[in-house]
Amino acid sequence: MIPTAFDYQKASTVDEAIAALTDGDVKILAGGHSLLPALKLRLNQPSKLVNIAGIEELKGIKEEDGEIVIGAATTYHDIVKNDIIKSKLSFFSDSASRIGDVQVRNHGTIGGSLAHADPSADWTALVLAADAAIEVKGKNGKRRIKATEFFTGLFSTALEEGEIITAVRIPSPAEGTKTAYQKFPQPASRFAMVGCAVLRKPDGVTNIAFTGVSDNAFRDAAAEQAVAGKPLDDATIEAAANAAAEGVSILSDHYAAADYRKHLAKVYLKKVLHAVA
Amino acid sequence: MQTTFTGKPVNRVDGPVKVTGRAQYAAEFSTGQTLHGVIISSTVARGRITGIDESAAMQVKGVVTIFSHKNIPTLAWLNFSYWDLAAPPGKHFRYFQTDEIYFSQQPVAIVIAETFEIARHAAALVHITYETLPAETDVYASLHKARKPKGSRIGIKKPKSRGNFSKAFAASAVTVKAEYRHGAEHHNPMETMASTVIYQDGGKLVIYDKTQGVFNSQQYIRGIFNLKFKNIKVVSPYVGGAFGVALRPQYQLFAAVLAALQLKRSVKISLTRQQMFSLGHRPAIVQQLALGASADGLLQAISHTAIQETSRFEDYVQAVVNWSGMLYNCAHVQMDYKLVPLDINSPADMRAPGAASGVFALECAMDELAYQLSIDPLQLRLINYAEKDGVSGKAYSSKALKACYLQGADKFGWQQRNPLPRSVKKGNKLVGMGMATGIWDALSIPVRAKAVLNAQGKLTVTSATADIGTGTYTIMSQIAAETLGLPLDDVTFQLGDTDFPLAFVQGGSYTAASVGAAVQKVCLEIKQDVFKLAKRIKNSPFKQCSLNDVVFSDGYIQLAGNRSTSLSLASVMQQSKTDRLKNTATALPNALQQMRYALNTHSAVFVEVEVDEDFGTIKVTRVVSAVAAGRILNPKTARSQVMGGVVWGISMALQEESVTDHHYGRYINHSFAEYHIPVNADISNIEIIFVEEQDDIVNPLGVKGVGEIGVVGVAAAVVNAIYHATGKRIRQLPVTLDKLL
Repeated sequence: MIPTAFDYQKASTVDEAIAALTDGDVKILAGGHSLLPALKLRLNQPSKLVNIAGIEELKGIKEEDGEIVIGAATTYHDIVKNDIIKSKLSFFSDSASRIGDVQVRNHGTIGGSLAHADPSADWTALVLAADAAIEVKGKNGKRRIKATEFFTGLFSTALEEGEIITAVRIPSPAEGTKTAYQKFPQPASRFAMVGCAVLRKPDGVTNIAFTGVSDNAFRDAAAEQAVAGKPLDDATIEAAANAAAEGVSILSDHYAAADYRKHLAKVYLKKVLHAVA
Repeated sequence: MQTTFTGKPVNRVDGPVKVTGRAQYAAEFSTGQTLHGVIISSTVARGRITGIDESAAMQVKGVVTIFSHKNIPTLAWLNFSYWDLAAPPGKHFRYFQTDEIYFSQQPVAIVIAETFEIARHAAALVHITYETLPAETDVYASLHKARKPKGSRIGIKKPKSRGNFSKAFAASAVTVKAEYRHGAEHHNPMETMASTVIYQDGGKLVIYDKTQGVFNSQQYIRGIFNLKFKNIKVVSPYVGGAFGVALRPQYQLFAAVLAALQLKRSVKISLTRQQMFSLGHRPAIVQQLALGASADGLLQAISHTAIQETSRFEDYVQAVVNWSGMLYNCAHVQMDYKLVPLDINSPADMRAPGAASGVFALECAMDELAYQLSIDPLQLRLINYAEKDGVSGKAYSSKALKACYLQGADKFGWQQRNPLPRSVKKGNKLVGMGMATGIWDALSIPVRAKAVLNAQGKLTVTSATADIGTGTYTIMSQIAAETLGLPLDDVTFQLGDTDFPLAFVQGGSYTAASVGAAVQKVCLEIKQDVFKLAKRIKNSPFKQCSLNDVVFSDGYIQLAGNRSTSLSLASVMQQSKTDRLKNTATALPNALQQMRYALNTHSAVFVEVEVDEDFGTIKVTRVVSAVAAGRILNPKTARSQVMGGVVWGISMALQEESVTDHHYGRYINHSFAEYHIPVNADISNIEIIFVEEQDDIVNPLGVKGVGEIGVVGVAAAVVNAIYHATGKRIRQLPVTLDKLL
C-alpha cells in the first residue's frame, strides 16, 4: 500500500515545528512506527508531515527539581540504557526493552506513543502508574497535563490543536519505591492484550494502571484502595484482584473477548502485586 | 521385502508443478471467452422467496443473464437423477428449482456476466425478498425429536448390539456414564469449490471440476440435464484439498453447466469462502456413553448412543457408534444411532467421518473409567484388547494395535507418567499426558487402469481416480515403475479424466490399495506382453526363457543368472517394430477372502499438553502417533497424511467449530478470520511411527491406506491429557480456554 502524497518538513526547533502546525491536517512524525502504517493503509491522509525526531531539545533524560524529565523524542532504546531510569524507574526500562522489536525500540519515541494513545500501548499504563505529567507546548506556550487527565478515549488525548508533547515529567520516587509492569503480549506485535503497571511507595500508597483493557489506559482506584497502606499478602492481593477492572467498558476483539480480558486484568494485577510485595 | 521404489520416501512427482504454479486447478482453466457466474445465497434459513428484482443488476453493462427458480428450464423429475455416488438416502436437493428455502445460504440465483467483477457487482444489486419462517438449527434443543435414520447408505453398516447391556451394566463393579458433544465443522480446503465448463461446438461439455471423482460429476450432470455420457468430459488433474467436501457434486457445478447449456457459452463459477459454509459439514453430535467394568478392569458392558443433526431432505448417516462394538473385548454392547432433521444443508463425509466423532467419545469414556478404576489408561486398553472384531465375530486380516500401543508409549515416555492429575508443573504451567486409540476401515473397491508402453520404453498409466493432495500421483508412479522395472522418470501416471478407465471417488482411505492393485495388475500384463515381444525378436537372448528366468530392472530385461545379458525395453519395442503396447486391467477386491476377515487400520495416539492456569491457554507440546496400516508405499507422503490428520485432531479438540446464530439459523464465523484452525505456532512436535504390519489377505499389495486413521482418537487423547494436567474433565469440543477458567 502506498500513502497519499504529502509535503514534508524537518524541524530543528520546537518553535519551528509548532509554527508548521497551522493547518488542521498537518501531522507530526516522530518514530513513525504507528503513523506510517496508518498512512499506508490511508487511514490517515495528511497534507504535510513535520518531522520532530531530529530536534535536540526534545531528547534526553535528566533529573531536575525533584523530577525525572524524559524528552518527548527520546527513543525507547535510550530509555532502556539510561542509568537514572534503571535505578529509579526500573519498570520503565524493563518494559521498554520488551516493546516491539529492535527496530521499533531504536526509532519509537515516548512522546509519539503517548500522543498516539493506542489502547494497547505500554507507555500509557507506565506513565499513569508513575504519576507523570505530560508537558506540552503550543502557540500559547507551555502547560502540564496530569497523566490521569491526558488519555480521554480510544486514540484520544487532551492535546489541543497545534500542541506538541515536549517532555514527560515524573516525580522522583522516594527511596524504597517498588515498581513492576507485566503484560500478555499479542504474539505478533507484542502490544499488550492486557498490561498492568504498579508503583508502590514506601508508605504503602499504591498506583495501579491498566492498558489494553479499555478504550484508554486508566488508573484503577478500587484496586489501589484495596491495598493502600496494607501489607501485600495473599488476602489483600486477592481483594485487589476482585476489585480490579470493575465498572469500565472492556474491549473485545478477535484475540480476547471482554470476559477473558477482565480475567487477564485480574491475573496480571496479582502478578505485579506479587512482584512488588 | 526387496523393493526399488515402494516403501521408499520418494518425493512427490507432482511437487515441482505445484510449487512452481504450473499445476492448473478447476478455476484456472479458460478458453477465449469464458463467462463468469456469481451465485447469490439465501439470507434466511427457512421460508420462501417472495420476489426477485433483477432490474438494477440487468442494467449493468456486461451482465448476460440471471438464473433463478423463475426462469430455469424443466429438468429431470426423478429423485434418482439427482443421486450421486456419495449421496445419503433421501430426497436429493434440486438447486434453483424451488422458491422454498431449506437452509441458510441456500443458492437461489446465478448472475452471469462477461467478467467476474461485473457478475459480483451485479449480484449485489439483485434484490430478493423472503417470507421468513422460524428455523430449527439447534440439535441440542431438538434432541427429543431424534428418530431412526430412514434408508441406508453404501458402506455404512447399521450398529449391531449384542448381549444384555442393562443387566451387565447393573452388575458392574465400576461404571462411567457421560455425555460428549461437538459442534459442526466445515472442511474448508484452501481451494474453494469451482467449475469451469467449456462449451464446445455441437453441445459437448468439457468440465474442469474440483472433485474427488470425475465420474461422479459426470453421471450427476448426465442425469439432471439428460445428456449423453460421450458429450460430458470431466477433468480434474489437481485438487487443492478436499477432505470429503468434493465427494458430492456441489452446486457450482450444477450452476455452471446450467448456464453453459442455456447460453451455449463457456462458464466459470467458483464459490466464496463464506459459501463454503453452505456445503456439507461434519455434523454436530451428542453422544452418551456408559461403560461398566469389573474391579480388575475387564469391560462388562458398553453402551454408545449418538444423536446427530441432518437436513430436512436427506438422512445423512455415518458410522459413529459402530467402533465401540469393535475396539474392546466386551460381551454386552448396546449401540444406537439417531438423527434430528434440522433446517440446515445435509452434512457430508469429512476426514474419518463417524470415527472422528464416535471414537472421541468412546476413548474419553475409557479414560474416565481408567481413573475410576485407578488403572493406567494404556493398561486398561491392553486388559481389554480385542483379537477379533466383536461386531462381526471375524478375525482381523492383521491387527498390530498392540505394537502401536507399546512402541508409541515407549517413544513418548508414557512409563514416566505420574498417574495423578495435576501432579506435574513446569513453571506456572500444568503438564498432562493423555492417550487414545484410533481405528478405521481398510477397504478396497473395483478400479480399472490402463497402461501404454511406447517405442522409447516409457510408460504411461491412467486411471480416473483423484489426487486430493494425498500422493496418488506419486505412489502409483512408484508401483508402476517397480512392477515394470523402470526408472521413476520413465513412468507417467495420469488421473482425473473421464476418458480414463473407471475409478470411483477418492475417499475412505481405499485409493492406495484399490487403484494400486489395478496399476500393479496392468503393469504385470504389460510385463508379459513386452516379454513375449522380447522372445520373438531376432537373436533374442531370451528365446528359451520364461518370465521367471528374467529380471526387469532399470529399463532392461536381464537374465536372472547373468544380468549382463540384457535388452532394454526400448530396444525390444524398436526391434519388434512395435509402436506402442497397450493393456487395460480391472482389479477386483477378493470378496470371498475379504468376507472372512475384519479389515481395519489402527493407531495409538499419545499427547502431552501444557495448560497455563492463569490464562487457560492450552498448548499441545508433543504428539506421538503409532499407526498400523499394513504396508506403507511411501513413508514420506504417508507421514504427511498422518501428520495432517493429527493436526486436524488437535484442531478438532481445541479450535474448530462452526457456530450457529440460532435466531437467524446461520453460521456466524464463516470466514478464516473467525473459523479457527491451527497455524504453525499452534503445532509443536509430532512424531509418526509406522508399525510393521504384514498382511497378505487385505489386498495383493498388503496396503491398508492412511488417509483417515491419522485424525481418529487425537481429540480424545488431547482431552484426556487436559484432564491429567488440570483435573478438569471437559466433554464438549472444542476445549476453548473459557471452559478451563
